[in-house]
Amino acid sequence: MILSQRTDSPCFYPLSEPSEFHGLKSVGTKMNTYTICIFTENTIGLLNRITIIFTRRRINIESLTVSETERMGVSRFTIVIKHESRETVEKLVRQIRKIIEVMAVFGYLNDEIVSNEIALFKIATPLGSKPLDIEYINKNFNAWVVYWQLDYVVIEKTGSEKEIFEFFSYIKPHGILEFVRSGRVAVGKTEKGLVEYLPEYEWEYYL
Amino acid sequence: MNTTVSELTAEEPQPAAKLIKPLTGAEALMQALVEEGVETIFGYPGGAIMPVYDALYDYQDRLNHILVRHEQGAAHAAEGYARITGRAGVCLVTSGPGATNLVTGIADAQIDSTPMVCLIGQVGMKLLGTDAFQETDVIGVTMPITKWNYQITSADEIPEIVAKAFYLAQSGRPGPVVIDITKNAQQELMKKPFSYKKCEKVPSYRPRLVPKQEQLEKAAELINKAKKPYMLVGHGVLISKAEQELIAFVEKTGIPVATTLLGQSAISVDHPLYTGWLGMHGNYGPNVMTDQCDLLIGVGMRFDDRVTGNPELFARQAKVVHLEIDPAEIDKIIKADAPVIGDAKEILTRLLPLVNENDHTAWRNEFRQYDDIEDEKVTLPAIAPTTEKIKMAEAIDLLSKKTRGEAVMVADVGQHQMMTSAYYEFKKPHSLVTSGGLGTMGFALPAAFGAKVGDPSREVIAIIGDGCFQMTIQELGTIAQNKLPVKIIILNNNFLGMVRQWQQLFHNRRYSFVELQNPDFITIAKGFGIAGHTCAQREDLSASLDTLLASDKPYLLEIIVEKEENIFPMIPAGTSVASIRLE
Repeated sequence: MILSQRTDSPCFYPLSEPSEFHGLKSVGTKMNTYTICIFTENTIGLLNRITIIFTRRRINIESLTVSETERMGVSRFTIVIKHESRETVEKLVRQIRKIIEVMAVFGYLNDEIVSNEIALFKIATPLGSKPLDIEYINKNFNAWVVYWQLDYVVIEKTGSEKEIFEFFSYIKPHGILEFVRSGRVAVGKTEKGLVEYLPEYEWEYYL
Repeated sequence: MNTTVSELTAEEPQPAAKLIKPLTGAEALMQALVEEGVETIFGYPGGAIMPVYDALYDYQDRLNHILVRHEQGAAHAAEGYARITGRAGVCLVTSGPGATNLVTGIADAQIDSTPMVCLIGQVGMKLLGTDAFQETDVIGVTMPITKWNYQITSADEIPEIVAKAFYLAQSGRPGPVVIDITKNAQQELMKKPFSYKKCEKVPSYRPRLVPKQEQLEKAAELINKAKKPYMLVGHGVLISKAEQELIAFVEKTGIPVATTLLGQSAISVDHPLYTGWLGMHGNYGPNVMTDQCDLLIGVGMRFDDRVTGNPELFARQAKVVHLEIDPAEIDKIIKADAPVIGDAKEILTRLLPLVNENDHTAWRNEFRQYDDIEDEKVTLPAIAPTTEKIKMAEAIDLLSKKTRGEAVMVADVGQHQMMTSAYYEFKKPHSLVTSGGLGTMGFALPAAFGAKVGDPSREVIAIIGDGCFQMTIQELGTIAQNKLPVKIIILNNNFLGMVRQWQQLFHNRRYSFVELQNPDFITIAKGFGIAGHTCAQREDLSASLDTLLASDKPYLLEIIVEKEENIFPMIPAGTSVASIRLE
């Protein structure tokens, strides 16, 4: 996990765990997926302020999800990027942390998080078309029909990017009218909650 | 319209009622500035900021407004003011072009960590996003070049946001803050009574001032073990006013010190541990020693590429202790073996008891051999030349002697800037104001009068090239109108000298668009009501400088210098100290 420097952060430097990509720069080509979780105040323009940091370093954003957290007025950005250099991602994390309304930033590798995405498939079902095997879809792909009309159905599939694309391949012959996939949502594999990283805040819970 | 207002206007205005009379946004802004302790504003009026200027009319006794000639001048003047006082410089400009003209100065302040608060008018809230007259998305434009920016759309926000702006601009690693104020927010009445509380805390922003003990201990261990430690002092030492702590630290440890360009004057050139300054045009010894030390201690500096050259070849043999307030600077360019995050003053104070008393005389003496070579090859020929024309270096050297190294030098950008840094012998802290990170030509003239306003007791001398001067030449009007006794020296070589030097050295003397046909600068100054004269002969130089320094009014001295003088030492961009050139 990559942590931005904080007065209360348990580790800032050096990184707590040995990096599996140590010396990777010389190898050169291997890209790793990083999930960057950013906790912020909920203010106008912050998305722009954050993405500018990626743009300046010419890092492409693979997916982006923003929502309010369990705490009032605290937003959570989940940004997925691919990069070959862990060092650069660490610098990125520290620069994001510098933005005034940003409270905390964490960078994760895939094995450090529990993550999911959601996809919707709109499938054509005109008369005489190949019937959809709903039960098979349920059992093998854990996907659900969430809406249906005479000529089409909408199927919801949650899972990893890989699982979603496996289902995509399966369903493709039926004729995909529309396909949409959300950004990643992720939580870290740690027993800690946000409050332990940000104890100085007076949190107001929704419930 | 809120009810309190209609009640008040219905009655005859009573003295008591007057006290609780709601303020307009513009009045609230003025009151907030007064309560924040602001004394001077550099500004330029225009459509979208007119309500504020109307309110300012009643605040002229409490707020000193200096009308510049171009908004860029306001920004640089605010920077000059901030560098000298340590307090945020304040700019007040209108929307659209007023704001975009400020952008260069904002970017300059951001990269040189200069506190600045820019108050910018904006079209009314209802017109936002409609391409209204003089509407620019100022928040969008300034987002990457400010520490923080905010758009105020209602009068009630003003006190709190102004307080936050000053706190953010001046605390931690300082920087520019932009407040974009829509016209309706300036005009409308506050719905709540005005009250101002200085901001002391922003929840998501906690610059660490006091360093962690374990980081200090690790740094102290490396310092105590080092045989050849070497300290690089940056702007951060001046920003945190840690000059005394720095001296106490180096005197105890015996560590030789060099400064960066913006770190100049943090330690007096007379100090026995001061070895010079380093960087692309820095001194020979200080540059070469980065390749020989076993420990490099960077304090309040960010290993800019003009300091390191090629970072992969920089100080590879040395361990690095990085004392810095901004965590994002750690490992950004040079990997630190022992980073310490905190305010320079706090760090140096707390590090002092942890380090051993030491005396690195032998190691320090190693610098001398390089000093001798540099003196022989560069310095002496430059300050006592036999050429027909005056050399820049000798003019700066003579000026340094005449002012006993105690003046504030405001250097523009180019060869004359490097000459000022190299040949002026800084004796007092906060004595070099220059655009380091952004390298903004035209910086010096407005920054000089900003600095003079900031501290009228100090002699402020602007060193400007003939190219730079013509970028903000109109600020002579500001200097004349406000009777600011700034001394201006133009080192005129009829060239964009630094670019010409590069073309000479790296582009086979293909002088592509660097020669200038200049106007008569003295006549121009006279047109603005500023006295001046030209000095072209070496025998007139001393008397000319005396005339300049004796003047109690602004004065312009144009010195005609050698056309093709070069500044050495020089480390060509992207190379390492191994490629340093002395000629």
